[in-house]
Amino acid sequence: MAPLKSLEARYPLLDSNFQSFCASNGIFTVEDFLLHDLSVLTAFAEQQPNSDRLKEGITQLLSIIDRQHQPWLNGLQLLEDARQNKHVLSTGFEEIDKLLGGGVREGQLTELVGPSSSGKTQLCLRVAANVAIQHVGRVIFMDTGNSFSPRRIEHFIHQISDSVLSEKVMSNILCYSTFDIFSMFDVLQQLENSLKSQGPKGDCKVQMLIVDSISSLITHVLGGSGPQGHALMTAAGFLLKKLAHEHNIAVLVTNHMVAGEGGTLKPALGESWKSIPHVRLLLSRDPGNKISNISILKHPSLASGEVARFVIDD
Amino acid sequence: MGVRGWIDGDESGREMLSRVLTERPYLHLPPFQKFPLRVGNVVELVGPSPCAKTHILMQAAIDCILPKHCGGLGHLVLFIDLDCRFDILRLSQMLRNRIFQANENKSNDDEELFLECMKRFLYIRCYDTLEFLATLKTLHYKLQKERQAQGISVNFLMIDSIGAFHWIDRASTSLRLGFDNRKALSLHNVYATVVQEIKKLLLLHPMLVIASKATILGSRYAANAGKWDRNLRTLCSPNSAVSSVTKKVHQFMYREYMPSIWQSFVTLRILIQASDVHISTDKNHNKSVYLSQWLMPPVSFVDSFIVNDVGVFCVS
Repeated sequence: MAPLKSLEARYPLLDSNFQSFCASNGIFTVEDFLLHDLSVLTAFAEQQPNSDRLKEGITQLLSIIDRQHQPWLNGLQLLEDARQNKHVLSTGFEEIDKLLGGGVREGQLTELVGPSSSGKTQLCLRVAANVAIQHVGRVIFMDTGNSFSPRRIEHFIHQISDSVLSEKVMSNILCYSTFDIFSMFDVLQQLENSLKSQGPKGDCKVQMLIVDSISSLITHVLGGSGPQGHALMTAAGFLLKKLAHEHNIAVLVTNHMVAGEGGTLKPALGESWKSIPHVRLLLSRDPGNKISNISILKHPSLASGEVARFVIDD
Repeated sequence: MGVRGWIDGDESGREMLSRVLTERPYLHLPPFQKFPLRVGNVVELVGPSPCAKTHILMQAAIDCILPKHCGGLGHLVLFIDLDCRFDILRLSQMLRNRIFQANENKSNDDEELFLECMKRFLYIRCYDTLEFLATLKTLHYKLQKERQAQGISVNFLMIDSIGAFHWIDRASTSLRLGFDNRKALSLHNVYATVVQEIKKLLLLHPMLVIASKATILGSRYAANAGKWDRNLRTLCSPNSAVSSVTKKVHQFMYREYMPSIWQSFVTLRILIQASDVHISTDKNHNKSVYLSQWLMPPVSFVDSFIVNDVGVFCVS
């Protein structure tokens, strides 16, 4: 956060006298100010010769930090935002859409967990193709394991619709190869910057962000006794949720499964990650046939445990 | 202040009684119904995600924003969303169902009531610790403004969930240059400030604080999950000896990770947990049963409840 010195040009109340008063209380930046007890600071200011001006400075700083949180909204404003901006994107599978009340929601982080070869990547590719066609939106696909297949996408496009130009649809699906969490942060921050500067009137709106798989980026940094790995994981989760909410993007991430208590499979990334996604879906495939099962493990408005069965065609 | 003013006191016994009685926000929903809550209490809901913590907060919020003639408290609610997972559609759906139920026999205007209640729900989301601190620091002004604008005061302050930035705060190792009295942005300092700010707010604006907390350290929980399910099955069978069951429930542990300054700030603590047991309700829907137990004050009785379209309900 900004040092007080850098604010002087814009806010003349925060002059060198105010700065040296703050410095004597251990406050050099706005961040320091956030950690400080203001009643103590005001009491100190009252003992100073020019107390009125110092107190005005404190009020000025307070109005600066008042702009550093998100705006307060009442229930009606929230509801209006949800109705106008947070659309439900169809996945292209009737059964899944029915299960989820229409599909995946913009503004939410949806997590798809499943054992290896349960069809997570296929489902992601198919949903990407469907969103690019049906919703004429841009899809960003972050590929962490070289599993993105343009051919497969093209195949799905033809399957969904014969009449669309596959080149045009393909140009709306952007693939980024990311092999570690830091390059994911890079891509996400670039995306955030471009979305901010572009504003809501961009030529083609980003509607979906897919990270396949997020667990392969995070498991590397977890482990060890330090909290740094978990901090990176939490920060990634919050950045994804911020992008989703502020820019009305549906975020879809995949997670693998590991052996848990008694040999049963459980989603990777542990307890701390569990509280991050809005929706958690479990994908599994019946042995011997092509039928996939998808069930709700967690959802903000739907009961967990409901199951849908669907088939991803070859 | 003169001596006489000091002798006269601030209010009479009758005034105090009427204030205290109205300031007792009684919540009829599980898991709160066992204890009379007071403004100034800090209630913590602990449990592994997902265990209906946010649902309980939503229903408590609805109880607060509904007017008195619909069985509510008619006050404002502040909801600070640190998890950034709040679903307003779910809240509005629950509220509509509640209003529909309350107005079944009357010809009141549901829509107007709905709009009035939704305006009483005040929401903010914070994407990091600094935003959270900035929110708390400027909350006093927000509360004053709302009190003037709407003419009613805030009764509940909800935080969902308090440990959301735990790992980020714990890993923050910013070294401070400058004087010795400069505070570092450490886990302890952050929560010392959070507690201090809420304490100052409570002096000026008496509120009930309800904070949810996800159990993010899960090793012991996993080892004990089975025990809970077995306990519940014995609990559900008609001839079970309740005393032996409740003894076992005490073995359920969760690992505390919040700084001690927050822990000592909490006055009431409830543990919530999902169970493997489902009960069938109407329309052939199976609802999973959740369990709640008071840890502070320690009560050995376990409540079970379910979540449906209208809200949280006790099952016995």
